[in-house]
Amino acid sequence: MVSLPSMVTSPPSLTAPELELRKQVRAFLAETLPWGTFEPGLGMGAEVNPKFSAALAERGWIGMAVPARYGGHDATAVDRFVVVEELLRWGAPVGHHWVADRQIAQVLVRYGTEEQKQWLLPRICRGELCFCIGMSEPDAGSDLASVRTRGVHDGDGWRVSGVKVWTSNAMRADFMIALCRTGDGERHAGLSRFLIDMHSPGVTVKPIPFLNGSTDHFAEVVLDGVLVSDEMVIGEIGQGWAQNADELAFERSGPDRWISTFLLVQEFIRERPDLAASPDGSRLIGELAAQYWVLRRLSLAVARAIDAGGTPAAEAALIKEMGTRFEQDVVSALRELLDRELVCGLEPAPSLFERLLRRAALDAPSFTIRGGTTEVLRSVAAKGLS
Amino acid sequence: MSDSELFDVAVKLFAEHSRWQDVGDADATGWPDNLWKALQQTGFSDVPVPEELGGAGGSVADAVQLLRAAGAHAAPVPLAEAGLVGGWLLASAGLALPEGVRTVLSPAATLRLDGDRLFGTAPAVAWGHRAEHVIGLVDGVVVLAPGPATQSGGPAVSRGVNLADEPRDTVVFDGAPVTARADAPDGVTEETLWERTALGRAALMAGAISAVAAMTLRYSGEREQFGRPIGRFQAVQAHLVTIHQQATVVASAVDGAVEAVELGRGGFEIACAKMLADRAARLVTAAAHQTHGAIGMTKEYPLHYLTRRLWAWRDEAGGHRRWADRLGSALVASGPDALYPAIQSGSEVVQ
Repeated sequence: MVSLPSMVTSPPSLTAPELELRKQVRAFLAETLPWGTFEPGLGMGAEVNPKFSAALAERGWIGMAVPARYGGHDATAVDRFVVVEELLRWGAPVGHHWVADRQIAQVLVRYGTEEQKQWLLPRICRGELCFCIGMSEPDAGSDLASVRTRGVHDGDGWRVSGVKVWTSNAMRADFMIALCRTGDGERHAGLSRFLIDMHSPGVTVKPIPFLNGSTDHFAEVVLDGVLVSDEMVIGEIGQGWAQNADELAFERSGPDRWISTFLLVQEFIRERPDLAASPDGSRLIGELAAQYWVLRRLSLAVARAIDAGGTPAAEAALIKEMGTRFEQDVVSALRELLDRELVCGLEPAPSLFERLLRRAALDAPSFTIRGGTTEVLRSVAAKGLS
Repeated sequence: MSDSELFDVAVKLFAEHSRWQDVGDADATGWPDNLWKALQQTGFSDVPVPEELGGAGGSVADAVQLLRAAGAHAAPVPLAEAGLVGGWLLASAGLALPEGVRTVLSPAATLRLDGDRLFGTAPAVAWGHRAEHVIGLVDGVVVLAPGPATQSGGPAVSRGVNLADEPRDTVVFDGAPVTARADAPDGVTEETLWERTALGRAALMAGAISAVAAMTLRYSGEREQFGRPIGRFQAVQAHLVTIHQQATVVASAVDGAVEAVELGRGGFEIACAKMLADRAARLVTAAAHQTHGAIGMTKEYPLHYLTRRLWAWRDEAGGHRRWADRLGSALVASGPDALYPAIQSGSEVVQ
């Protein structure tokens, strides 16, 4: 009558080659991006730096799991976990290649045509390409299957029209992977995914200022009769929804879903050692460490499950739901411990901890929204319980 | 036998001898005789003590699997005390297992050894009044002494119970001679005794939480309101998700602690596991009771056999504050740049 939780909870610890890989990444970061010489970011919301992406790619650490014949390294999901974990906890500027590396490469490997693979995968693995994801629309957010952007077959291609919103990095992306309605049949079966060249005629990108005033992240993308050739259909027409669901196991379970505010904790200990060593401070550090430790274990377990051939999408939803709430809890717990107004002078520039804290305080609500809201994730996870 | 096979065998044993009816009876009588006999006959009470010291062999991982199964069935017996904690303590000092029911004196006890004579008070001794033998660590010496249930001349005992009506008795030693004593080896200290005790509680809690998860999921599929099973409502699904998340967290944490202990470490991981189990106990019991509604508050419905134990076990073997303070102090002392390596490698980096 009783069973252990169905999810694989126990990740065999990292192997010697995996630990060696971690050492190499640490050495690379210490050399290429010494601490104190750059502005560390909050997880995947870090800076965009194509040069850094190119240097990383040169080491073979972008698109690692892509087969070697397409420019990758036949590496595992765990290898990627090892690399990404080090990058994120360093606050490295991963913005340029992030989406391409996290999910587009896998989508193309799984569903892309031979031509698409030969054309795009080597460029992804060289860190050249920046992708954006065209999912949400003005009237389709959590209810993604109600997208209205439409692709109509026209000669030897498709005309795509509609509006995508909340599209991260659209202003600098080379391609969008866009979920569109191509059939009138059943809700889910009528959806397909296209690769859209962001430089095509008919594509207009309008920045949407973020609440902190930043205009270099969020955008609305208007697609006005954009011509997309048949070669740019990903997989098959009508397969869009299923592809999307598969992709979520990759998108939702990684360290980026629980590590975003880690640097706050680290820099708090550095800048406020007395408060950190106080009874309340050290208790909090102990509590947070326990959460980081177990979220990391679960996240690694999903990577191991992916390597074993699984698509643990419900498990990934459980982790993202917990991990992103935890990222927010870190911010509020530190603020409660500090117990002061977040006011700082403009000159001299505030300290790193202060900068991270101010950024996190304003960004935090987005953690439980982007990539599937907490509420949607609960529904996905609940369907997986039985 | 693999860990999962052992777990399955243990679950069968508890399903037969630790039914809710048996647990309820033991609340009243203080002792489930058939269950204890079954645990002795299978040797489960003597895991992980080596066979040459009178045990049943097995690893820490085996002992933890047995405790998970025990926790899932609210087994009202001192299984952790007999094996993982007390058995380990005796074996570490090369002392053989005695015949009969045994339990452990908590590291919080104030005891003193004068030659072979034991003095002092041990509070909250699990099933103390039933114990023919008690095991303790006194000033670096592992001690085996007659318990209150020994035939004659045992220490005085006053009965107590925890929130789940599990016996937690106070035992007073007035200088009676110990049965055996031996110096504890390096690496067996008051702190490692705390850790073992906490690992045992975390394992029981993992089992109890997994059982609460199964019970609540089943109930939410059976109970109908507004014309459909309550589990179809999003608000209720949120409770189910919380419960399963926390069951997963604790299962993974206990696995991680066992992995570290088997490598001869474990301070960091056990602290995490106990903290996480305590937090999970709070979240899971609240969500499970909310899902069940009034029926879950009755004596008749068995949820309370599990939730009352979780409420009690949260604070046993050191509550979340003890472990958070300890771990946090060690991490802060190691400095900011050791924090992430510690999260990755646990007690390999910070003890």
